[in-house]
Amino acid sequence: MTKPNTQTDNEVREMTDEEYAELLATGWTETNETPSPD
Amino acid sequence: MATPPDFTSGQILTAAQMSAVGLWLVKTQTIGATVSSVAVTSAFSADYDNYLILISGGVASTDLGLSMTLGSTATGYYSSGFNQSLTSATINATNTNNGSSFVSVAYGSTNALSGQIQLDNPFATKRTMASYQARGSSTTYFVNQQHGFLNDATSYTGFTLTTSTGTVTGGTIKVYGYRN
Repeated sequence: MTKPNTQTDNEVREMTDEEYAELLATGWTETNETPSPD
Repeated sequence: MATPPDFTSGQILTAAQMSAVGLWLVKTQTIGATVSSVAVTSAFSADYDNYLILISGGVASTDLGLSMTLGSTATGYYSSGFNQSLTSATINATNTNNGSSFVSVAYGSTNALSGQIQLDNPFATKRTMASYQARGSSTTYFVNQQHGFLNDATSYTGFTLTTSTGTVTGGTIKVYGYRN
C-alpha cells in the first residue's frame, strides 16, 4: 500500500514509516467503506 | 469613511482607510497532492484576535472528514453540535468531550472540499474558542455544525488538518484575520 503524503506549508513529502504507523493507529484507512460523519 | 466604503477609480487610499479594512487575508496555503495531513504555520499572531479559515476547492479520494489540531496539542478539545446526512431529515446530536482534535471541521469527496472555521484567541495565552461547519459534497455524506473550545492557555501560531480516511488533493486553505 502506498503511504499518503504529508504537507507542511509548501513542502509535500511521503510519510515516513513511523508517521504512517501513527496514522494507522488513529483508525485511518485508505478508503471509506462505511461513510460516517467523523 | 462611509460603511461600506465607496472608493473611486484611481483614488489614492490613505493609511486610515487601509487600516479600516475589517478582514485581512493573512495566508493562503495551496493543498498538495494526495496528502493526509496539512500543517499551516505562521497563521496566527498578535495582529489579530479572531480568525476565519476557509477550506475550499480541491477534491478528496473518498468521502472523508478533516480534523483540526492547534500546534502539537492532542488533548482538551471540546465541542457540541450536530451532524445530518444529506439524504435524511434526522439530526444527530454530537459532541467531543476532551477529544484529541476538533472533528470534521471540513468534509471532502471526489466532488469538493468544504469547511469554515472561526477561531477566537488562538494566539493569546487563553482558551481558544471555535465554531465550525462542514458541508458534504456527495449524496452519501453529511453536514456538520459544531461549537466549542480548546481547554488550555497555550499560544498557537499554526494548525494541522488531518483526514479521517483517504487523502485530499488541491484546493486552498485561506486564513483571514478580523481587525481588532
